[in-house]
Amino acid sequence: MKNRLKVLRAERDWSQADLALRLDVSRQAVNAIETGKHDPSLPLAFRIARLFDMSIEEIFHDEA
Amino acid sequence: MTKPDQPLRETEQSAGAVIIKRAAIGVGGGTVLIFLTGMIAGYSTGAIDRAGTSAVDVAMLSGMIMALLAVGYAIWRFWPRLSAEPVAPRIKSARIIMILMGIMGVPLGVLLGLSDDGPASIFSNGPANPVVAIVAIGLWLIPVPALTWLWWQRVDEHEATAYRDGAFIAVHGYMFIAPAWWMATRAGWLPQQDPIIVLLVISVIWTIVWFAKRYL
Repeated sequence: MKNRLKVLRAERDWSQADLALRLDVSRQAVNAIETGKHDPSLPLAFRIARLFDMSIEEIFHDEA
Repeated sequence: MTKPDQPLRETEQSAGAVIIKRAAIGVGGGTVLIFLTGMIAGYSTGAIDRAGTSAVDVAMLSGMIMALLAVGYAIWRFWPRLSAEPVAPRIKSARIIMILMGIMGVPLGVLLGLSDDGPASIFSNGPANPVVAIVAIGLWLIPVPALTWLWWQRVDEHEATAYRDGAFIAVHGYMFIAPAWWMATRAGWLPQQDPIIVLLVISVIWTIVWFAKRYL
């Protein structure tokens, strides 16, 4: 699954660690989500969407 | 306009190297610490059993304790640290629990070193002192599972997935290794199955998968 997390984070001048702190996860988790190695659970996807004040579909999109 | 992302780039560039160094120092240094602890315990027991401590014993034990302290200091001194990056409270507490579990290895190493086979007794299958056995089993069955459960409550979903994937592959490893060894023993090709060796192999598989999923 592709996502715009890295772009959204960079727009706010947040490091991976900054975003991880806001999401209450590890920096490795943020890195894995950004690189598409880990698909977040629905609760985490909602937390991410709320943090950026966007819908899940605006951040994550299916590659199919 | 997007601001320059210098701090981010610095963190990301160094993260891989830091992880590899931490793994090398943690696994290597931790193993040496446990073995040294076991050696000290085993040598102390031997000296006590001989009903008299010679100057050589004191020198040997002093040397081992100095080596233990030196290795401990070296781990602390050379432990790679990322530049003060913020860490979520739950991740911080999960790390503290991991450290506590590592510290639990020290008394376990001492206890295993106190069995009757001397310094090499950490992986021995020989008879063990019942008191040592009770304490070791107690440590293994009460604080270690409790800390593991607490850690499991604190990890994030990415770490939990890595841990679960490692467990999944490790269990399959066990399902292939144990019966193959059992059959090979029956055919006379291998010695009797050693549960601790199987446990170590399974643990290594679990750790490798967890590490790869978590950090690579």
